[in-house]
Amino acid sequence: MADTSRTETLIGSDVSIKGEMSFDGSMRIEGKIEGKIVSKGRVSFGQGASVVAEVTVGQAKIEGTFKGNITAAERIELASTAHVLGDVRSTKLVIAEGATFVGNCFVSPDALKVVEKSEFVTPVAATPIKK
Amino acid sequence: MSKDSARRLIFCPRCDARQEVSRVTKSTSCPSCHRNIMTTDVEINEYCAKIEMWTAGIVTVGKKGTLIAEVRAENVIVKGGEIKGPVTSRGSVTLDKGSKIFGNITAPSLCVGETQHLVGMIVAGPRAAELLAEIGMHPPPVKPAPAPQPKKVPA
Repeated sequence: MADTSRTETLIGSDVSIKGEMSFDGSMRIEGKIEGKIVSKGRVSFGQGASVVAEVTVGQAKIEGTFKGNITAAERIELASTAHVLGDVRSTKLVIAEGATFVGNCFVSPDALKVVEKSEFVTPVAATPIKK
Repeated sequence: MSKDSARRLIFCPRCDARQEVSRVTKSTSCPSCHRNIMTTDVEINEYCAKIEMWTAGIVTVGKKGTLIAEVRAENVIVKGGEIKGPVTSRGSVTLDKGSKIFGNITAPSLCVGETQHLVGMIVAGPRAAELLAEIGMHPPPVKPAPAPQPKKVPA
């Protein structure tokens, strides 16, 4: 039986996808993606990749062109060939010299906890008043 | 040592005017805005809180350094220390592993070793202006460097 944790799905340079993608293991994207990517695994965008997406993953490595917001639970790595336009949120960040990055950056050990908190804040008006 | 190698080109951190100074110059005044320019390299190895840290040299923040200021320098190197405040560089901003910056970064080149603390807006890289234009923003205008005017001698 194939070990899914070690296999890497490859999306070739001649592939163009629009929509939502989710996977568990690891994926390398060399083509064009537009939409949303959700995973607990690792995604890497190759040098020829052109991505316009909202990405929520475990680890991400960007070598190509990326537009959109990216949230990684573990780590984000921008290679020297990366062109990133969008917001980045992670617990660890590595940027190689030569990478282009324009956007807001929120890298902190509790970066994702803040997201969780802000998403599930109970409105003040909805809280019952204790007597 | 030849005379040329003993001189270097500096840019005013305020108005971007350029001028040539001796390598040993510690400070000078800008021929355009007439403000004082620090030209020395600065090394921070302790807590240092200022309004601004503007130099035409290199700012280095050591492992035990904490710099709280608006930083403008030719190059900025953080060797495990911390900067709280906006960082603008004409050259590169380099963060070693474990360094922290809480503030916006604007630089033509940014190199970040594995860091866990980086909060702010980042505009960095050779194609940053292109990406900014795409979202309708423009990079901060660089004023043309005017040639220094000769002083008028009173008759």
